[in-house]
Amino acid sequence: MLLQAFAISPLLMVGIGAMLLMMAEAFSKVRGGLALGAAAVCFAGVACAAGVWMYGVETIPGIDAFSPWLRVDRFSLFFDALLCLGAGLSCLMAGGYLPEHNLDRGEFYSLLLLSTFGAMILSAAGDVLTLFLGLETMSLGVYCLAAFRRASARSSEGALKYFLLGSFAAALLLYGFALLYGVTGHTDLQGIGDAMAKGNIRNPMAIMGLVLILVGLAFKVSAVPFHMWTPDAYEGAPTPATNFMAVAVKGAAFAMMLRVLLTAFGDPRSASWASGWPPALAWIAVITMTVANLVAGRQESVKRMLAYSSVAHAGYILVGMVATMHSATQASAGVLFYLLTYTVSTAGAFGALILCGRRGAEAVTYEDLAGIGRRHPAAALPFAFFLLSLAGVPPTAGFFGKWFVFRSAMEGGFYWLTIIAFINSVIGAYYYLRVLVFMYMREPAAGAPVATPMRSGYVTAALILSAVLVIALGLTPTKSLSVVFQAAAIFGG
Amino acid sequence: MIPVEYYVGLSAILFLIGGIGFLVRRNVLVALMSIEVMLNATNLALVAFNRQHAQVHTGQVLSFFVIAVAAAEAAVGLAIVLSFFRLKRTVRSDEADLLRN
Amino acid sequence: MFATYGPMFLMMLVAITLASLFFIGASTLGKKKPTPEKMMPFECGSDSSGGRHLKLSVKFYLTAILFVVFDIEAVFIYPWAIHFKTLGWVGFFSMTGFLVTIVVGLLYCWKKGALEWEK
Repeated sequence: MLLQAFAISPLLMVGIGAMLLMMAEAFSKVRGGLALGAAAVCFAGVACAAGVWMYGVETIPGIDAFSPWLRVDRFSLFFDALLCLGAGLSCLMAGGYLPEHNLDRGEFYSLLLLSTFGAMILSAAGDVLTLFLGLETMSLGVYCLAAFRRASARSSEGALKYFLLGSFAAALLLYGFALLYGVTGHTDLQGIGDAMAKGNIRNPMAIMGLVLILVGLAFKVSAVPFHMWTPDAYEGAPTPATNFMAVAVKGAAFAMMLRVLLTAFGDPRSASWASGWPPALAWIAVITMTVANLVAGRQESVKRMLAYSSVAHAGYILVGMVATMHSATQASAGVLFYLLTYTVSTAGAFGALILCGRRGAEAVTYEDLAGIGRRHPAAALPFAFFLLSLAGVPPTAGFFGKWFVFRSAMEGGFYWLTIIAFINSVIGAYYYLRVLVFMYMREPAAGAPVATPMRSGYVTAALILSAVLVIALGLTPTKSLSVVFQAAAIFGG
Repeated sequence: MIPVEYYVGLSAILFLIGGIGFLVRRNVLVALMSIEVMLNATNLALVAFNRQHAQVHTGQVLSFFVIAVAAAEAAVGLAIVLSFFRLKRTVRSDEADLLRN
Repeated sequence: MFATYGPMFLMMLVAITLASLFFIGASTLGKKKPTPEKMMPFECGSDSSGGRHLKLSVKFYLTAILFVVFDIEAVFIYPWAIHFKTLGWVGFFSMTGFLVTIVVGLLYCWKKGALEWEK
C-alpha cells in the first residue's frame, strides 16, 4: 500500500501540492513566495519521479492495481519528470514576469500546477476515461492561463480561439473513441489494441474512429492544418504561460499520441503504410514543417515566431512518430529525447525573451531587440545560445535531438521524409539567426523606444537551469539516451 | 426494443449537427452550444454501445465523466467569453481579429 | 409494436384533436373588438415599459455556474451510495478524497468572495 503510494508519488506531490498552494493563497495574507512554493512542488515532483525510477518501478508489488486507469511505468515516470521540469521552469519565470508586468495574482500558480497534474495523468493514462479526464484537466487550466491578462483584448481573444478549437478537438477525439468502443467493446487502450489486432481496422466504423482520433491528436499537438489557434494563444498569453503551453502541454500531447497510436493501433495492419495511420501522419508532418517554417520567417513578433517554431518542432517530432511504424522502441526513444531537448531549449528561449523587456515595454518584436546584444549582453547571450539549440546547431542539445529523430527515420527507410525535414531545419535556421542579427548587428532606429531588460533572480535561475541542461544533453547525450530507451522499452519490439 | 443502430445513427446525426454548427456559425455562444451538442452525441453513442457490450458498464461510467467534464468546460468557456465580451462588446468570432498571421 | 404503443398514440390523437378544436373554436366563434389596451402585451394592467432584453447582473452567471459545477458531483455520489457496502473501505476513502477536493474548491470560492452577493 505504501509502496503503491510511493509509485504514484510524483502525481500525489503535484496534486496535493496544488491544493495546498490554493489554500495558502486563499487564507494567508502574505504575498510573494508562491512562485517559489510552486516551483518547489514541481521540482519535488521531478525528484519523486527520479526516486521511483531508481528504485525500479517494475519491482513494486501490486503496481497493476492502478491499471488500466493509470499505467505506472518508466514511460510515465519519464514524462512525470519532463512535465514537472517544464512546469517548474514556467513557475520560476512567472515569479519574475508576473510582478514585473503587474499580473501578480496567485491563481496563476494553482492553475499551472493543476494543469500539470492533468498533463501527468494524460501521459500515464491507459484508459479512455483517464485519458479524457487528464486531457481536460490540463486543457481547462491552460485556457485560463491563456486568458490570464484580463485587461488585454489580445489575451482574451487568443484564449477564446484556443478554448473553442481545443474543446472541439476534444469532442472529436472522444467521439472517435466512442466509435472504437462500439467496435471493440473496450475503453482501455490495450483492450482496443488486442481487438484491433484481430483485423478490426477493416471495419468502417473503426476507420472513422481512427480518423477522428488522428484529427483530435493533430489539433492537440498543433500540427498544420489544425494549428490555427497556436500563434494566437501563444502570443496573447503571458510569456510564462506560453512557455508552459509550448513545453508541458505539447509534451503531454505527444505522450498521449505515442500511447494511443502504439498501444491501441500498434498492430501490424493498423501501423502499416498500406492500411494504417503512418501515411496520414507523414503528410501531416510534411505540411506542418513546411508551412510553419515558411510562415515563421515572415513574422514581425518574436513571440509569434517562437509559436510557429514550436509548430515546426511538432512537425519534426511527427517525423519520429512515423518512424515508430518500423521500430517502435528506437523511434519513440528518439521522440522522447527530442521532447527533452526541445523542452529545455524552448524554456530557455522564452526565459531570455522575458528578461529582454520590462513593465509597459515587453520585448515582442524584432525591433525591440535591436542592439540589445551590445547594451545588455547578460540577456542577449543566453537568448542566442538557446536559439542556436532550437536551430539544431552542434554541439547543443537541439542538434542531437534532431540527429536521433532523423536517424530513426532514415533507418525506417523514409529517405524523402528525412530530406524534407532536413531542408526544413535549414530554412528554420534563418529565422533563429535573424534574431541574432537584430541583437548583435542592428542598432535601434533613432528615437525608437529602447527595451531595457528587467532583473529577476527567478528568471535568471530558470535560465541557468535550462542552460546547464542544454549543455549537459549536448555534451553527454549517451547517458540520457539510455534513459529514454528504458522509457520507450514499454512499447516492446 | 429499439435496435442499437438507431441510437448510433441518431448520435451520428447529432454529432454532425454540432460539428457543422461549430464550423458555420459565427456566434461564440452558439459555437459553445455546438460543442455541448457534440459531447452529448458522444454520450448517447457510449450509452447505446454499452447495450451491445452489456457485461460491464464502462460506456455508461465514461458518459458520467463526460457530463461532469462538460459542466466544467462550460464554466471555463463562459468565463472566457465573458472576459472577451467585456473588452470587445461582441460575441461574434469574426470580430476577433486583433491577432493575424 | 402497436399493442404496446397503441393506447399512447390514441391518447395523443385525442389530445391534439381536442386542443385544436378549442383553438379553432375560440378564434372563429368568438366576437372580436380590438382596442389599443387589449393589443398591449399583458403586464398586470399597467403600461409596459422597457425593452425585451433584461440586462442581468454577471453575479447571476457566477452563482449559476458555481451551482452547476458543484451540483454535478451528485452524478458520482449516487452510484457510490448505492454500492456503498460492496465497495468497502477503498470506495469510502476514494469518495473521501473526492469530497475533500470538492471542499478545497468550495473553500477557495468562499475565501475569494465568489459566494458573496453584496460586495
